[in-house]
Amino acid sequence: MTSNAIKINVLLFGACREVAGASELNFDLTSPADVAGAWNEIKTRFPNLEKFERSALFAVNEEHARKEDPLKDGDTLAIFPPVSGG
Amino acid sequence: MDIFEITREPIDKPGLEKRLLTGAAGAVVTFDGVVRDNTKGRRVVSLQYEAYEPMAVKEMRRIGAEIRKRWPDVERVGVIHRFGPLEISESSVVIVITSPHRRVAFEACRYAIDRLKQTVPIWKKEIFEDGEEWVEGQAPEVSR
Repeated sequence: MTSNAIKINVLLFGACREVAGASELNFDLTSPADVAGAWNEIKTRFPNLEKFERSALFAVNEEHARKEDPLKDGDTLAIFPPVSGG
Repeated sequence: MDIFEITREPIDKPGLEKRLLTGAAGAVVTFDGVVRDNTKGRRVVSLQYEAYEPMAVKEMRRIGAEIRKRWPDVERVGVIHRFGPLEISESSVVIVITSPHRRVAFEACRYAIDRLKQTVPIWKKEIFEDGEEWVEGQAPEVSR
């Protein structure tokens, strides 16, 4: 069977992790996939994350990413609020 | 060699300075970020830091590379950020720059802490006597 399904690993940090009540999960997406699409699906599963719609930042495979960046099978997508280290 | 670390342990500031001191260095500038006991008039009991560890180290390395490009005279760059629970007056981050002369070390150190606050994936939560709150970072423009 040919399938367009891809699996990604999702990490949540800081207030996003706390609000979702999850820090790591596997997610199935349909290819072609991008960060924006994944974010929408994740918000569907965790509606409380909607409050981060305007502020959430993303990283793909440990590099800062934009919403239009593509996702491929096996990628790790991290979702987090603006950083506040220091 | 330059040093970029994330640790749960207290930061050894003199140790970091010593590790970065080369014979050619005439200046050591250290920024020590410590936990403050208040925010906007509210008493802070402690802080809780969370880090995306592998990415945080990568972003620190990137800052180190940016510094070397802007200030080629820099001898060594060191950044250690702590995570987990921190008490008042404990160091959350220590940045050390060594260089032949002071100006470069001051400028590079200032740049390092400013960039760290924009790009390194670390978050802090303030614990108050009557509750707790994540500190809202400033949304940066994402550069790659």
